[in-house]
Amino acid sequence: MTRVVARRLVAGAGVLLALTAVTFLIFFALPSGDPAALRAGRGASPETVERIRASLGLDEPLPVQYLTFLQRLLLEGDLGHSWHDDLPVAELIAGRLPATLSLMAGAVVLWLAIAIPLGTLAAVRRGSWLDRAVGAGAVVALSAPVYWVGLLALYLLADDIGLVPLLPGAGAYVPLTEDPLRWLGALVLPWLVLAAAFGGVYARMLRASLVEVLDQPHVRAARAKGLSERRVVLRHGVRVAIMPLVTLLGVDLGALLGGAVLVETVFNIPGIGRLALDAIGRADLPVIQGTVLVAGAGVIVANLLVDVAHALLDPRIRAR
Amino acid sequence: MARPVLRALLVALATLALGASLAACGSDGGGGATTTTATDGGSEATRGGTLRVLSEEDFGDLDPGITYSSAAFNLLSATVRPLYRYAPDDPTTLVPDLAADAPRISDDGKTLTVKIRDGVKFGPPVNREVTSRDVKYAIERGFNPSVLNPYASTYYRDVIGAEDADGGPIRGIRTPDDRTIVFRLRRPTAGLLAQATTLPLSAPVPREYARRFDAKPEGAVSDYGAWQVATGPYRFAADERGRVLGEGIVPGRRVVLVRNPNWDPATDSRPAYLDRIEWSVGNEPNVAGRQVLEGSGMTLGETPTAAIVRRAVERYEDQIFFSPGAGSRYAALNTAIPPFDDPNLRKAVAAQLDREQMRRVRGGEVVGDIATHFLYPGVAGFEEAGGHEGPGLDFLAAPAGDPEVARRYMVAAGYPDGRYDGDETIEVVGMAGDPADKNAQIFDEALRALGFRTRLRLVPPSVMYGRFCAAPRARVHACPNLGWIRDFADPQTVLDAAFNGAAISLEGNNSNWSQLDDPAINRAMARAALLVDEQERARAWAKIDRMITATAAAIPYLWDTQPVVSSADVRCVHQLWNQGHCDLAHSSVE
Repeated sequence: MTRVVARRLVAGAGVLLALTAVTFLIFFALPSGDPAALRAGRGASPETVERIRASLGLDEPLPVQYLTFLQRLLLEGDLGHSWHDDLPVAELIAGRLPATLSLMAGAVVLWLAIAIPLGTLAAVRRGSWLDRAVGAGAVVALSAPVYWVGLLALYLLADDIGLVPLLPGAGAYVPLTEDPLRWLGALVLPWLVLAAAFGGVYARMLRASLVEVLDQPHVRAARAKGLSERRVVLRHGVRVAIMPLVTLLGVDLGALLGGAVLVETVFNIPGIGRLALDAIGRADLPVIQGTVLVAGAGVIVANLLVDVAHALLDPRIRAR
Repeated sequence: MARPVLRALLVALATLALGASLAACGSDGGGGATTTTATDGGSEATRGGTLRVLSEEDFGDLDPGITYSSAAFNLLSATVRPLYRYAPDDPTTLVPDLAADAPRISDDGKTLTVKIRDGVKFGPPVNREVTSRDVKYAIERGFNPSVLNPYASTYYRDVIGAEDADGGPIRGIRTPDDRTIVFRLRRPTAGLLAQATTLPLSAPVPREYARRFDAKPEGAVSDYGAWQVATGPYRFAADERGRVLGEGIVPGRRVVLVRNPNWDPATDSRPAYLDRIEWSVGNEPNVAGRQVLEGSGMTLGETPTAAIVRRAVERYEDQIFFSPGAGSRYAALNTAIPPFDDPNLRKAVAAQLDREQMRRVRGGEVVGDIATHFLYPGVAGFEEAGGHEGPGLDFLAAPAGDPEVARRYMVAAGYPDGRYDGDETIEVVGMAGDPADKNAQIFDEALRALGFRTRLRLVPPSVMYGRFCAAPRARVHACPNLGWIRDFADPQTVLDAAFNGAAISLEGNNSNWSQLDDPAINRAMARAALLVDEQERARAWAKIDRMITATAAAIPYLWDTQPVVSSADVRCVHQLWNQGHCDLAHSSVE
């Protein structure tokens, strides 16, 4: 197992390296604003723009620019400075990461807490109103854009502009270390929005998987041994049926990051997603590179954790 | 009111099409009970409280020597004191700020002398009285490669020695005593320079304190902005060492202003009612607009969306104010390459364009008046250039367009059937996003109606400027989503960079988007730039405005008004010089 993890980490590093190259190429291949001109401002003289271009290293050939970036990254662990406000990229990311992690972790916990019981009940009570409701809910969740759901949630439930003022709304986020209670309150609505986007689909998937598992011989054997139905479903059914969900979770963490960008925007949560979005608008390559690297590393680590979880859940994988 | 036009257009992007029901508001209508331009904030202003400002856009560097945006100017107008400023309700008359009295301009227009007010002190941690040497250093550091002020080389270039300036002493700036600063100029442009001192570059910076932040290796940027000291009624919240970054300035999150303990009201005419100002960035514009309208103690720091404007007009009439003189919009035609090197073809396009429709898709009468020339209301020379009626040119006479006039110009250009039959595909680059894309499409349709084969590209603002419209090598034929906002009241700031042949830059940030290089206009600009008397300047630049408009190098279509929304309990005193934002040193919360 340790060897597998080590191998996956090395491969992950290769993927991250490739990611930096692709990001770099896309930045210069697609039309974007000229960073030097953007920084120089309106009416700046050609000399000023050129001085800024040189100061940012943009006057070097592209391969040299990329190699300089790599050299700093690999030898010094330096992600560089923002072209927009000259702040260290690592500092910017470190300041934003807790908000995004809070948002994502809470949303995952919430949607699994919703999806697992609902999917299990829907599978056990096939054809019931609950089963049909889970199916319909999944369709609605899949078709409703996160941004729209976020706005709707605010207009309905936010304590400042909502029809039924229940929960803190946009701009209420504070770091956990500053005020844990306000942190929790401010994240409930964003968590609900993200959980709604994914929870229905997971419940539907678990239901389908569990229906199939409950028909398998090992489940029939468990029932024949006289185990309680609850124990049969949870120990012998859900534990097996949940495997596809774990796999899906690894894949969905990337999508979740995309959803988090939108939720961060609607709720004004200062996270990585919004940092990346702003950086793209400002043609701020160092920040774009930094956020892409962090997001890529997050997806790689998440997939690694999924593999580990697989091994923990499935004794056959552990045995290999 | 200097700000990059890019930013101005970015914020204006949010102004979506409004219903005809808004038309009744009028473009220059005043606000209701809570909006005012009276500089005392109304007779019942309350002292104390916190004003919360919400915006989507972040600020970038807030160093007074670097920043160049409308929102940042609003903030800095409360924290630093340049030599002169504008009163909120008068966007054209200079008011002494750090200066003790009116600027003294020598008869030959080559010397500007300013006396500094007694008793103005720097905030913590500097805590000493401001002298003229602090103003001298503030301007000199604008030329330091670690600062590179974006307008220093435009407005201070005639100061003797500025051409070689690199952050060290400039020969033409003298401080004979602690209270006097003298600018000696190569050319008689002291009148323009006096007005340019309303920009934050002239706000004092203590050399002994800032030097270590400004002294940077090549390529690095000064971090004085992160440690800046205040002279105004407010300062950025700071830690005990005076570092504002992370306290008063948290990038991507918020800016917090608190009272400056060293500000002496006896040295300032501003009331400074508020105790604290919290400006949060990153807000979703529709959510923020509703929070402001339905909440308390808030104002929006940027252009509200159309949905919010509509909501405000329908339900919160007293909480919206339409600020006139917020800039102009036009479509530029590239005069340097065929086919629009032919003035008759340009006039044909101008005559064909339905400017009424261009305004309608942005919201109708409420968003401004249909433009007939380039100097807009609130800029000196506007009336002399023809006022609202304009210069009386036939190709701009009909707001909804006049196909017959367009046909006549097509014939004059050598297309007898009134339709273009050349080989070129006209490259049109516009801005993505409602309503700018609609403007671009209407413009594109006008070209097609005249027989032009076009290729319309809609791209983000930074790409539109950086890669196409401000980059002559891209050889774009037309850019329909351009605009300009004055740096201050002088008409030169509207016309010079945008239409002077000398401003054409093949490599840098070209601001003469039409690449108009008319020798007569260039000569007239060179002469007008040297006039000292304000009235003479206004007349001369108005004449130049008429000359430019007659070339049809660009087609003016809108003089903007800026909607500003605030909560019911906010007494917002609007900065007419700065797009109507609430003046932080005059506004109050009930």
